[in-house]
Amino acid sequence: MKKRLKDQFNDLNLDKKVKYLFIAIILIYLLVFYGIYAFIIQQSMVEYTLESNMNTLKSIGNNLNAEIESIDNMSQLIMTDKEVVAFLKSDEDEFYVKQEAVRAIYDTMNLFNNVSSVFVFQEDYDYVSSGIGVTHINVEKLEELLEDVRPRAGGYYLAINGRGAIRRDIEWPVISLIRVVNDLETQRPIGSIMINLSVDLFDNTYRNMISENKAFGFFGLDGTVLSKQSYHEELDAIEYTGASYQQETIGNEGIVSYQVIENTPFILKSYEKIHFTQVLTDEAGKILAIVFLVSALVIGMIGFFITRYITHPIQRLAGAMKSVNTGWLRRVSLPLANDEIGYLKDSYNDMLVELNELISELLEKEKSIQQAELEVLQEQIKPHFLYNTLDTIAYLALTEPAENVYEAVDTLGKFYRKFLSRGSREIPIKDEVEIVKDYLTLQRLRYGDIFEDIYEVDPELENIRVPKLILQPLVENSLYHGVRLKGEKCIIKIQVFEEEGIVHLVVYDTGIGMDDKRILQIMEGKSRKSFGFKGTIERIQYYFEQKDVVKVTSVVGEYTRVDIKIPKGGKKQNVSSDDY
Amino acid sequence: MYRVMIIDDEQKIKNLLKLTIKWEMLGFEVVGEASSGIEAINTIDELNPDVLFVDIRMPFMDGIEFAKLAIERYPYLKIVMLTAFNDFDYARECIGIGVANYLLKPINKIEINDTLMNIKKELDRHAPREERGQLEEVKISSIGKVREYVIEHFKEPELNLTSVALKFGFNASYLSRAFKEETGVSFIDFLNGCRMEYAISLSKENQYMYQVAAEVGIPDPNYFGKCFKKYTGLSFSNYIKENKRD
Repeated sequence: MKKRLKDQFNDLNLDKKVKYLFIAIILIYLLVFYGIYAFIIQQSMVEYTLESNMNTLKSIGNNLNAEIESIDNMSQLIMTDKEVVAFLKSDEDEFYVKQEAVRAIYDTMNLFNNVSSVFVFQEDYDYVSSGIGVTHINVEKLEELLEDVRPRAGGYYLAINGRGAIRRDIEWPVISLIRVVNDLETQRPIGSIMINLSVDLFDNTYRNMISENKAFGFFGLDGTVLSKQSYHEELDAIEYTGASYQQETIGNEGIVSYQVIENTPFILKSYEKIHFTQVLTDEAGKILAIVFLVSALVIGMIGFFITRYITHPIQRLAGAMKSVNTGWLRRVSLPLANDEIGYLKDSYNDMLVELNELISELLEKEKSIQQAELEVLQEQIKPHFLYNTLDTIAYLALTEPAENVYEAVDTLGKFYRKFLSRGSREIPIKDEVEIVKDYLTLQRLRYGDIFEDIYEVDPELENIRVPKLILQPLVENSLYHGVRLKGEKCIIKIQVFEEEGIVHLVVYDTGIGMDDKRILQIMEGKSRKSFGFKGTIERIQYYFEQKDVVKVTSVVGEYTRVDIKIPKGGKKQNVSSDDY
Repeated sequence: MYRVMIIDDEQKIKNLLKLTIKWEMLGFEVVGEASSGIEAINTIDELNPDVLFVDIRMPFMDGIEFAKLAIERYPYLKIVMLTAFNDFDYARECIGIGVANYLLKPINKIEINDTLMNIKKELDRHAPREERGQLEEVKISSIGKVREYVIEHFKEPELNLTSVALKFGFNASYLSRAFKEETGVSFIDFLNGCRMEYAISLSKENQYMYQVAAEVGIPDPNYFGKCFKKYTGLSFSNYIKENKRD
């Protein structure tokens, strides 16, 4: 699977590779950003929110405590008021005293907020009151309540709705602050005071804190809803467990928490949404955005650079290289920068020049081989030789014994059968020598006794295969350009021998010989008359893939010796031999 | 009877031609032959043929070269080219120089018969052949000049009686007769003598017959050999051996 993907990637062209690379880089970039956000920022965001939430709760609690403190002060003001004390100390139901006490309470009450009503009780629960909301006092419940208040030794006690001691005509509950009043001189209880507060008290404590991300609510320990202005359904998600403080997260979305307010029977619950801007200030966000943008720009620039200066030129180069057609390699002419890619182009072009040279050389070589072989084929037919020989034999038929004619016709037939035999490109040396023998026999018939032919062939080498018709053209050359021009009887000698692992096929004649200039001429094929000779030498050279396979030595007027040197194992490379 | 000369480097083919063609019946006789153009140049004046059969492929001087030369010197000659090469270039060249016919080997009797009959008709129409050159008496002083000319130019292989006669503006047969009367030897023997004497002198330094032959103006060593033997009574190689012994 992995390998397949790798292969697929490798098969893509450069442009796509770069594109995928950049997509990968951008994805990684986004992943890293997301990771930073998810695992670091978010984490600290939650922590931060928890911390800040706790502080908020504390500060709201403090606010409430301060409010309650001020109400406590108020209660002290009332209970030390002489009119009130007078009321508490009066035994009789004196209207005037009560009136004065109510007036004093009223005056004090007006100095404070959130106070809905104030009750001052005598020990026998006769009472005076001011304010609104309370319609009836349940004395039994009040007694129960005061049982709990007395141990506080003058401290106040907070209860919701006076723990049932009061009946109300309003929907919302009231908070009752209750304390026992002691006589200053005797320090004996002379009554009690109950101040009922509206729940506005709570709202004021967090009024400044409320936002769309935050919600607060006050509750009694039993779950009674106290606060009414700010409420959020998530506040129900947390319940009082007995602990004084608790925070819970709701996923990564928000947190809910509660706190039991110190010295009170109230629970402050809060819900706070976790928000990015809580940790990340606007400026930090801007910096981050700039970093992101700059990174994107840099990636873009790198991409542009790679595309503009690397991918695109390479693609164009590749495109130009592809347009190589019809066997000939075209040079690439592209305006490319003078960098490595330009160098690549130049090298490619240089290489092409060399390649083209090689190709044309090969073509040239192939052509000359074909030409040489064609010439051999044409030579093979040798019509002039056949026609002349036929005339010679015709003469023999008219003048000589029938056996001679038979011999001549037989030789002619034998010669042509071997000479024209198709199928094999290579034949054993002995067959090649046979061809030469028959050829010279026929030529002697034509030209008379102008030469003696001698054969010195090592029988062990007879079966080595050589390209067909390499000796006959050389012998023909000896006859026409050596022997016949001399005017004297000559020797034509064929030798096949081995020397140091090299097989020598030698055609030697004592004809007129040639000077070095003439040797060079015929070796290079400049003389028209010698193309058979040159063609044969070329064939031998191509066949054995060696230049020095043929050596011509000669002394003018004495001899010419053509020495073909072939490796005993035959040809180095194995070229199919039966194509022809 | 018209006179025929056959020039071919293959003896058997010359013989075959002589044997198979009924020359006399057609009004011809074979008066001589040569194995090369070089030999022919030297013998043609003596043989005085009307018709030449010339093989194209011959060593030393090929048939076409010889035919060109012959037509220039003997415009009345009817030349039949014989060749085993069915080569268009040859045919075109032959026709270009005014060769009467171009026949392919192997020899076909009927073709040759037809050719000979046509030639005979033409010869009959134009006979007797026109004589060229001065018919007046060749002056004795002129013979001296001719001799000098020959001595000076015998190394040129194309030199023969007719070419010298044309050079001096004489009729060849008159020159021949006058030369013999004046000098006591025939022109041909004189030319040959010059060459052979030179050959003898060369043979002291050069043992290669074909080189000596070319030097003295007979680049065909076979013909040179014949001439040398006739002149000295010895073959060239034997002559060298003899002389070494001395």
